[in-house]
Amino acid sequence: MKRIISSLLLLVLLTLTGVNAQNNSARTNGTARSNAPVTLTLPNKEGGVRFLVMGDTGTGTDKQQQLAQLMLRYRQIFPFEFALMLGDNMYGGEKAVDYKQKFEDVYRPLIDQKVKFYAALGNHDDSNQRFYAFFNMDGQEYYRFTKGNVSFYSLNSNYMDKKQLDWFTGKLATDTSTWKIAFFHHPPYSSGGAHGSDAKLREIVEPIFIKHGVNVVFAGHEHFYERIKPQNGIYYFISGSGGKLRKGDVNKASPLMAKAYDDDMSFMLIEIDDKEMHFQVVSRTGETVDSGVVVNQRKSSG
Amino acid sequence: MKSKQVLAIAGIIVVCIAASGRVLSQTPSPPPLSPADKQVADAFEKRAKDYVRVREALEAKMPPLSKEAKAEEIQAHKQQFQERVRAARAGSKPGDIFTPQASTLIRAIIKDEFKGRDRVELRNAVLKESENKAVPLRVNYPYPESQELLEMPPTLLLRLPPLPKQLRYRFVRNNLLLVDRENGLIVDYMTNALP
Repeated sequence: MKRIISSLLLLVLLTLTGVNAQNNSARTNGTARSNAPVTLTLPNKEGGVRFLVMGDTGTGTDKQQQLAQLMLRYRQIFPFEFALMLGDNMYGGEKAVDYKQKFEDVYRPLIDQKVKFYAALGNHDDSNQRFYAFFNMDGQEYYRFTKGNVSFYSLNSNYMDKKQLDWFTGKLATDTSTWKIAFFHHPPYSSGGAHGSDAKLREIVEPIFIKHGVNVVFAGHEHFYERIKPQNGIYYFISGSGGKLRKGDVNKASPLMAKAYDDDMSFMLIEIDDKEMHFQVVSRTGETVDSGVVVNQRKSSG
Repeated sequence: MKSKQVLAIAGIIVVCIAASGRVLSQTPSPPPLSPADKQVADAFEKRAKDYVRVREALEAKMPPLSKEAKAEEIQAHKQQFQERVRAARAGSKPGDIFTPQASTLIRAIIKDEFKGRDRVELRNAVLKESENKAVPLRVNYPYPESQELLEMPPTLLLRLPPLPKQLRYRFVRNNLLLVDRENGLIVDYMTNALP
């Protein structure tokens, strides 16, 4: 009898899984995604610091456009104020027409809604992007800005020289913000097959993160999403599929990986209050592929 | 001013200096160069600064680029800047800055920095995985915008002779280039840079 019940349960399970897989497949293979589902898992409280994170965007492809349309739809229910760009903002040429096709045309509806973009430079980016009004870099390759109780440090991981490191440590040493977030292009930790962890960068920057209490790090470069298991108390995220996708590149057996998604392009939505950072990762197909809460390490221990 | 106040101010100054020194010392220091190597590195740095002086003088005659520029303005500024520097440095040739002595020193630093597994990974990154193989090896010519600017390993940057902020080291194939970060020109290059 037990065997019969077990077999029936297994059959039901397989059927359900099969249906679900079919649905996912159908959604992934589609083209226009303006009707992708929009479901918010974030608290969406008044007063929180709300923003979007995306990396490796600068292709100007239809898929990048579709992802941007989904961002716009999410903004209707989750009014994020700004977006972090994790580098590779412009692939290929960097003429005026490229800025238009690979950025302005794609994100025009968000620009028109006064969403501010804060860019970091990647290995495909000309340094002159730092003068581009829409990237809000104030003419600097690395810079800091604050929103509420959060300090954001945009770093140039493509050229981490002594000048930049001295600037970074100097700024952090006097930073009393509740949250310190660094964002840049190359990931110190990654389960990607094409690139993997940037160990040389990590060797230099991670001791600084630890010493000065950086809470969260966002990086791109890898064309997928990954949440790394906390390393030395720091939460590392990769969000590098805003315009390109390296499908199936994540090593699923990686001991670093807490969660990863490399089936389609994606972006992150973030909400920060005094003690918690809530995150939701949305794929081009409208699926929420990861979500959760990061508790402020210093707040919880203090 | 009373002596106590003077002492207090002096104390604050001492603490500030000590604190700033601590901040700066957090960046790892590279192993020191020998006096002979230091001389070669200093001369290299001077030649790099000489280039920067020339290009700064040329840029100063151009309308400044706003920190809130439009894409068209960025493109126009870069193009004009390239043309002016190219004209001013029409006679420049490989080795003007990377002299044989400087190249030998830099090769030795790179070789010492990348050993074993690190060396294999560097060679893979530069020679196999990079997307900059179409960069022409020509002084005073633009580094093509379509080509990747390969990340420079930060541990190496801490050891190479420091450059003015306007200049960047870049690996292209088996070569190390000096590239102007604003006008995108290849200022000089050295060959056989990889160990």
